[in-house]
Amino acid sequence: MTSVADKLRFEPLRLPPELDELRADVRAFLAETLAGMSVVKRSHSWESYDAEFSARLGARGWIGMTLPEQYGGHGRSALERYVVVEECLVAGAPTGFHWVADRQSGPLIVRYGTEAQKQEIVPRITQGKACFAIGMSEPNSGSDLASLRTRAERIPGGWRVNGTKIWTSNAHRANYMIALFRTDPDPNKKHAGLSQFLIDLDKTSGITPRTIQNLAGGRNFNEVAFVDAELPEDALIGREGEGWRQVTEELAFERSGPERYLSCFFLLRKLIDQVGGKASSATLARIGAQVAWATTLRNMSLSIAAKLNAGEDPALEASVVKDLGCQFEQALPGLCQELCELEPSLEGFGTEYQQVLGSLVQVAPSFSLRGGTPEIMRGIIAKGLGVR
Amino acid sequence: MNETRQILEDSVNRLFGDRLDWDALTRIEDSGFPRQLWDEVVDQGIHKVLASEDAGGMGAGWGEAYAVLRACGRHAVPLPVAEASIAEWLAAQAGCVLPEGVPGLLTSTLDGNAVAGDSLVLDGARTPWGREAAYLVGVAARGSAAELIVADPAGLEITAEDNLGRDPRDTLSGRARVTARHALPLPADCVRWLGALARSAQIAGGGAAGLDLALQYAAERSQFGRPLAAFQAIQHYLADLAGTVAAVDTISLAACEALDARGMASDGRNARFEIAAAKCRASEAVEKLTRLSHQVHGAIGFTYEYGLHFVTRRLWAWRAEFGGAGEWGEYLGREAVAVGGDGVWPLITA
Ligand SMILES: Cc1cc2nc3c(=O)[nH]c(=O)nc-3n(C[C@H](O)[C@H](O)[C@H](O)COP(=O)(O)OP(=O)(O)OC[C@H]3O[C@@H](n4cnc5c(N)ncnc54)[C@H](O)[C@@H]3O)c2cc1C
Repeated sequence: MTSVADKLRFEPLRLPPELDELRADVRAFLAETLAGMSVVKRSHSWESYDAEFSARLGARGWIGMTLPEQYGGHGRSALERYVVVEECLVAGAPTGFHWVADRQSGPLIVRYGTEAQKQEIVPRITQGKACFAIGMSEPNSGSDLASLRTRAERIPGGWRVNGTKIWTSNAHRANYMIALFRTDPDPNKKHAGLSQFLIDLDKTSGITPRTIQNLAGGRNFNEVAFVDAELPEDALIGREGEGWRQVTEELAFERSGPERYLSCFFLLRKLIDQVGGKASSATLARIGAQVAWATTLRNMSLSIAAKLNAGEDPALEASVVKDLGCQFEQALPGLCQELCELEPSLEGFGTEYQQVLGSLVQVAPSFSLRGGTPEIMRGIIAKGLGVR
Repeated sequence: MNETRQILEDSVNRLFGDRLDWDALTRIEDSGFPRQLWDEVVDQGIHKVLASEDAGGMGAGWGEAYAVLRACGRHAVPLPVAEASIAEWLAAQAGCVLPEGVPGLLTSTLDGNAVAGDSLVLDGARTPWGREAAYLVGVAARGSAAELIVADPAGLEITAEDNLGRDPRDTLSGRARVTARHALPLPADCVRWLGALARSAQIAGGGAAGLDLALQYAAERSQFGRPLAAFQAIQHYLADLAGTVAAVDTISLAACEALDARGMASDGRNARFEIAAAKCRASEAVEKLTRLSHQVHGAIGFTYEYGLHFVTRRLWAWRAEFGGAGEWGEYLGREAVAVGGDGVWPLITA
């Protein structure tokens, strides 16, 4: 008598009380460091690029926390890292410079990199001094990522790359890129023809990023042209033909983190102050419902963090959190508009609340694109339920 | 998973799964209280997970009882198991033992004036399965303290009413004889909170049953030469349904565990926060749970013969019982505004 719903359980995790001290330290650091920073910049949180902030966070030992000490990491648990990450998101800390490096590139290099790469690159990551870009999407390969065509060919002593990546966040200012290329053009090997590469952007020629302005005026993502870009032998990271498997391994980390439901939390905080004591019962009920959602999603996300910490692979659960988290955070700007009739405004005009609203109203459509769309998430969930 | 919870879940699902197919649920709606099944529940002690060992119970917590409550939702159990569980926990907190038989849980806080000496005066007190009750149990406000009241329902005027799930929700009026009073170290409005928690768990179970039926039906029914499950629109409904069920399940269980860990009586941040979040989320989710599970079924799901309605009608009833998303959302909204924008995250993470 089992229910299909039994396959999808999120065992609650209570964070050990030792973490309270770390949380208090992080809060105090963020309160001091972020005071006076523009609210619009803060509202973009993990998409705000600020090398100086990342270096300060790194100096506190809060980047690459789980990485081994021999490479400058701190050998701390995934749950300790979770606490730092969620506090940064809620505070609106500009973590964009180190975000990708901390979340996935650092662990990837520790797992698959050469000894030389680990010694050279990982310490820079943990100091908050290395920015990474992820080169996966291409002009003709978005959701159907495995159809990608950018080609890495073997040449004596290395690889030659030709093709185009697109939507590559921070490629114009990153130090490294982790990219997925086709190493085997055999059309029968769609997934098996892909490999992952670690590229030192500061030392490689033939790679030209062109920044693409987003609808809100921001300049974060790029089109990146590879024209006979030559990479050394050891740029191949992991095994040839294993790129798809390696990328999928990273996805549970990428999809279940607190950034999947907290992108608008800064706005929720501002909304609560904006409506304040004069709110009607109906307005309070709507705000309370958001608090209930956030609490629910936090429990789900933490439960996955515990599974990841225990070495399990909660890929299905991660897709559920991404899908639900996106429903929650994408609806928030519209709700804020409804609950207090104030026009969203551009940076520099109107009140702080109006500026934060204006910024998040504009970026909210991207929440359901970056990291995989809800349509794709639901396909994955349906497969997990056995209907696909 | 918590081992005791897993064992309980397996055994309770087995019992109710065996006894409560659609024919049985239909018969019970026609013929009334399933006395034999209640006796089996009592024999197995399913209603006494939260009772103290002295009272013949398991002495377990809400984290374990969650398995029973969720199973009651999943199998549309037409018995006051959730109500009995609440009554037994209250008795355990008061350090007393309840009488034998079907309990009539008084769902509203009793006004201190309603209880005088050995007399309890009720005026339209809503009581699930009141007509079957061997005894009444409720909580009265005594100044700022609370008292557990046990009373004999003999002589009360009972107006029989059913909720949408066709489970008895009777109203009781008149004078009942109080048989026991015990000091209760809980807030006087605790039954509303515990009821909300129990209904959240039942909604998680009912939602899981709707998902199971929808999945099974989508695999069996074909249109345009393909099973419904082959259509992407249907796959996406099922995925959305599964995620919505999982969210209610997560927060309801988290609230049960919070109640075990922090109680609901202390000052400051106690389990009230999670309980309110659970009932708010669960009640809000009912719209999607019922809409999507019916949509996947087409017209067959709208018939009495096909039993999806046994859970969906209960989901609609449970959404409102012990307060809906409006009431619990407002509670949380007030808490949030009281601590302000900067205080809301510390409240969530406390
Ligand atoms: C702000 C931002 C930052 C990004 N950063 C990066 C980055 O750093 N690196 C990187 O590699 N990429 C990045 N991306 C790209 C992102 O991963 C893609 O946008 C995403 O994978 C979707 O691809 P697409 O935009 O080509 O849309 P498409 O795949 O063309 O999809 C368009 C629509 O069709 C739907 N659709 C597609 N296939 C199906 C299907 N089988 N069934 C049903 N519906 C379907 C999609 O869900 C979507 O709604 C970024 C995107 C954004 C918005």
